[in-house]
Amino acid sequence: YRPNRYVSLPAELDPETYDSSPEKRRAEAERLAIRARLKRQYQLQLNNPNPPAVIEDPALLRWAYARTQNVYPTFRPTPKTSFLGALFAIGPILFWIAVFKTDRDRKEKLIQEGKYKRPFSVF
Amino acid sequence: SGMSKDLMPGPYPRTAEERAAAAKKYNMRVEDYEPYPDDGFGYGDYPKLPDKSFHERDPWYQWDQPDMRHNWGEPMHWDFDMYIRNRVDTSPTPVPWHTMRKHFLVFLSTMLIMFGLGEIYPSYRPVGPKQYPFNDLYLEKGGDPNKEPPVVTHYEI
Repeated sequence: YRPNRYVSLPAELDPETYDSSPEKRRAEAERLAIRARLKRQYQLQLNNPNPPAVIEDPALLRWAYARTQNVYPTFRPTPKTSFLGALFAIGPILFWIAVFKTDRDRKEKLIQEGKYKRPFSVF
Repeated sequence: SGMSKDLMPGPYPRTAEERAAAAKKYNMRVEDYEPYPDDGFGYGDYPKLPDKSFHERDPWYQWDQPDMRHNWGEPMHWDFDMYIRNRVDTSPTPVPWHTMRKHFLVFLSTMLIMFGLGEIYPSYRPVGPKQYPFNDLYLEKGGDPNKEPPVVTHYEI
């Protein structure tokens, strides 16, 4: 079972799940502390006798902001981004221009030579 | 709505203090916080979390949102809406990935090669031209009913 890009390793084969050293244990304890603090905040808001109408999740708001409004200010034209932009924005236009042009030219040549059979249309 | 500017994501962090502040903002440890590489793609200082779908999260833990297996305030993956339990699943497969890929490619290539060979070298039972009754359908094809039709025999004795 080799590691790959699409699927994670099972817990039995992943060396990060066993061989816990004191540093790993301390890291886990710190993560647990953060998680407990967040859970406490959430439960306080949830069990409030006068609960607010909507309990906003700051993580969700940050996620939405980062994906929508934070993209333009942090965007920077680099060689990689401008190449990818040209490929995905201008590439398809040029491709379809070439396809339609060659198709039309071929049909035009056949009509000029008289070999083109007009397709039957009901309308 | 009610959140100040310094609680929202910002530009890529340059100095160590900016990184520490960003880790605190996202409720992560400073050692865990790793922003996306600064390639100008528009990620900013959003953390790069491991690419694991929500299928892998513990089903028996009491999450704040059980259907999403996500806690309140926990930093969400950039591709969160891709990794939900209705969509992409990155949990470990029973068969190793490379074995699956190898089997699939072998089967696909075998089938494609056989179909291609069948197109190039077709083989079927011998056939002859179709035979029509009534003197090769003389009247149906618009022949003159007053004239004698040409006699057509399809057999040899």
